[in-house]
Amino acid sequence: MVDRYSGEIFGYLWRFFQGRPEAEDCLQETFLRAFRAYPRTPDLRNPRAWLYRIATNTARSHWARGTRQLARTADLDARLPSPASSVPDLVDHRQRLRAVAAAVEALPPRQRAALLMRKYQELDYAAIADALECTEAAARANVYQALKKLRLQLALTPETEQTS
Amino acid sequence: MTTRQPPEQTLSDWLGDTPGQPRAEPLTSALDRLYATGPSTAEIQSARSRIQAALREARSALLYYEAVGPTGVGPVFVAVSDRGVVAVEFAASEAEFVHSLQARMGASPVRSNPMAGEASRQLREYLAGSRTSFSLPLDLRRMSDFQRTVLLAAAEIPRGQVTTYGQLARRIGRPGAARAVGQALGHNPIPIILPCHRVLASNGTLGGYTARDGVRTKARLLRLEGAQLLAG
Repeated sequence: MVDRYSGEIFGYLWRFFQGRPEAEDCLQETFLRAFRAYPRTPDLRNPRAWLYRIATNTARSHWARGTRQLARTADLDARLPSPASSVPDLVDHRQRLRAVAAAVEALPPRQRAALLMRKYQELDYAAIADALECTEAAARANVYQALKKLRLQLALTPETEQTS
Repeated sequence: MTTRQPPEQTLSDWLGDTPGQPRAEPLTSALDRLYATGPSTAEIQSARSRIQAALREARSALLYYEAVGPTGVGPVFVAVSDRGVVAVEFAASEAEFVHSLQARMGASPVRSNPMAGEASRQLREYLAGSRTSFSLPLDLRRMSDFQRTVLLAAAEIPRGQVTTYGQLARRIGRPGAARAVGQALGHNPIPIILPCHRVLASNGTLGGYTARDGVRTKARLLRLEGAQLLAG
């Protein structure tokens, strides 16, 4: 299970925490928790969703402990478009990326988790519901709530983009 | 004039909730950029080895157990670690066994037939008389060197034969240590498999047995093995 899923779960936690140290701590804790829970988990229909559930719970409790830091500028710079862009473009992109990163970090962890699982981890809503221990409708609502909040916070609607 | 999709529509495209190519919009492309990178292959490799190491450590601290069942000497339970058998007990109940293991080993044992079933089966067969020897790995790490020496010497006494505390003390090169040998045997964590019951007092009586019913259990085990007893 470690060989098969650790890379993917690492990617998820990496995105959740916007960076490495906490993602790796949570990753290790996720697999230790899974190892301890395994003998008491009789019917494991979807091991992938089960690991996402443990990872999400671990990440949320780390998050609640408040040990996080905001995404570092250096980390964000790595995600900027190619150096061919003009300097004003780059500054603009950097500012926007930082604003997006901050908005994502301000989301309730559950909604952020739902959005990441759907779009970047490619889980279907049944698996997301399993991971979040809720119904599929609630999983879907969490994703849409996340996007709605991001859009409100960033005012990044197609309309404003066009007129700016 | 360009026709523009309402935002909800583009979001469901982007999420893959509706068929068709995802359409870019500022929010979704910003998110795509934010989440474009993940851990590198090297970082995944190093994280994976850290997990493996942590799991190895966790595994070595875990104990699994199984009931041997009602036997000729009453209920018996067996616990194994990742290395082998660590404990055999004549406990009255599962709860008593678990409690005793927690107290002695500081570990929370998990009942697991896949892990402890083989040890349980061999003990059951042995106690039913249909097996004459054990083929099980033992985990002797929790013993002192002296106790390990004594118990491994006891394990060399053939089935059906007995020796005395004094003889065993001489065999391990500690002729004056009969009492200490008795102590080490009395605290045998793996009775039956490590046959401390084959060691008797020098006067030919059974000596002691630290288990349910004490020497009566010891006598039953010896009779099961066909040992000729002077007493008991």
